[in-house]
Amino acid sequence: MSIDKKYNELLTEVEELKSQLSEANEIINAIRRGEVDAFIIKNEDENEIYTLKSADKTFRIFIEKMSEGAITINKDGIILYCNSSFADLINSPLSKVIGCELERFIPVVYKNLVAKLLEKAWDKEECKAEIVLQGENNISIPVLLSISTLEIDEGLVLSILITDLSFQKESEEQLLRKNKELEDAQIITKSLNDGLERTIKERTEELIKEQKRAMEKKDEFITIASHELKTPVTSIKGYIQVLRFNFEKEGNAAAAQLLGKVDIQINKLTTLISDLLDVKKIETGKLHYREELFDYNELVKEIIEETGRVLTKHTVKYQLDETALVYGDRNKIGQVITNFIDNAGKYSPSNTDIIIETFKEGSKVKLAVSDSGIGIPKSQQPMIFDRFYRVSGTKENTYSGLGLGLYISFEIIKRHQGNIGVESEEGKGSTFYFELPISN
Amino acid sequence: MNNAQKKIFVADDDGDILDVIEMILKTEGYTVNTTKNANDVFAHMEENLPDLILLDIWMSGIDGREICERLKQNNATQHIPILFISANSNIVEITNDYAADGYIPKPFEMAVLLKRVRDILRKKQDKLI
Repeated sequence: MSIDKKYNELLTEVEELKSQLSEANEIINAIRRGEVDAFIIKNEDENEIYTLKSADKTFRIFIEKMSEGAITINKDGIILYCNSSFADLINSPLSKVIGCELERFIPVVYKNLVAKLLEKAWDKEECKAEIVLQGENNISIPVLLSISTLEIDEGLVLSILITDLSFQKESEEQLLRKNKELEDAQIITKSLNDGLERTIKERTEELIKEQKRAMEKKDEFITIASHELKTPVTSIKGYIQVLRFNFEKEGNAAAAQLLGKVDIQINKLTTLISDLLDVKKIETGKLHYREELFDYNELVKEIIEETGRVLTKHTVKYQLDETALVYGDRNKIGQVITNFIDNAGKYSPSNTDIIIETFKEGSKVKLAVSDSGIGIPKSQQPMIFDRFYRVSGTKENTYSGLGLGLYISFEIIKRHQGNIGVESEEGKGSTFYFELPISN
Repeated sequence: MNNAQKKIFVADDDGDILDVIEMILKTEGYTVNTTKNANDVFAHMEENLPDLILLDIWMSGIDGREICERLKQNNATQHIPILFISANSNIVEITNDYAADGYIPKPFEMAVLLKRVRDILRKKQDKLI
């Protein structure tokens, strides 16, 4: 190689270096003037960005570090600047975002909207809108866009702040989901409650039906039992009465009298059967009352006549006030009078009087049956109308009966809006009475 | 019309009660026909119409209520008085419900039975006059 050639080569090299130096000086000057923010070094497959530290470094860091995405675009919609938050948001490296068209990240359905927004923004109007961005791998990101114009050295650009609404949307969705779940739960609860209510109602109805069936069965049993008990009593009583009739006709008074006594016992048996049935009917509210208007004294006389036939050991006397019309069950009120007279006979010694009186007092008629019997101790008087209650004393023998007669009488009089009571002195006798309203 | 001319028909499925009622009614000289079989009531009506029917309520075969209803619906028998004679505790209600002419609860007093029969036959006769 000649010296000349070597010299020329060196000269060229110097020129080249001079030119590079001049270019470097220009860059340094530009940097000094703050005209350069960053270098982009083009490599084979990707660009490398070198950001320069300068006076606005604080703001740069601030923008870089803020969680919102920030970009600037020019009139052609090319992204000139982009912070790393935006690049992260759309899941794309920064180098690939800068220089791209913004449109690339806008899904078709939002293109029109965004175009209009940008148009407005270029007219220096601040715009905001919620849209969905389309990131790398087609990920959808709900965002809020805030667009405004920005005057920089190169001219007017648009700055766009992008707030990620994913979390908010997720929260909203979660809230909606929770609300929906709550609603579903409420619907399920309601349906469960309804079901439960229905089940309870059905079960209650079933129980009531079962109870009713059981009651009906019990009633039916009592009705049948009473019928079956009365049937043989009917034929016994019938035969006795025919026999008695025949003996009387033949003049056999002794035999007739004996049969008369049998007949009285049969009547007691009949009363016991009826009382048991009545008590069951009172308990189940099935005691039927056949109400009618009737002449009171007529009924009282009828009963006195009937009971008088049986009470052969006592003298029955009566003193009736002016008659009255009473509205009620004639048979059942008659049953009460019979019960009072029967009791008087049962609890008083032979050859004493039984006195029956009626008193018309205002709107009420009172009937009283007095005897000269054993009387009832004061302590026992309040219980006398209780079911199954029987008067007992130290000296007395046990008296027959189930303790139902007065209880049934009490229920019958109560049902007729009447009063029932007793005045009694031990050893001297008792007066049983009841009052009934007079019907006009 | 003397009592022998008055025909009383009694239906009761208890033979003893039937005997007793027949004996009691015969003490006053009535002509008495009886049946233990409730189903025979209608056949008997075709042969011989009675002046009065005494009818038990609970009977095997046809129930006394149904017999009463059918007799009261039939032109040939509806004029015949019917007395229910029963130990049924609802005899009063049944008498009303089935338009029977009266009732005699079992067990009954002989005197009461005879009085009811007398009264109803008299009432029937009064109506005819």
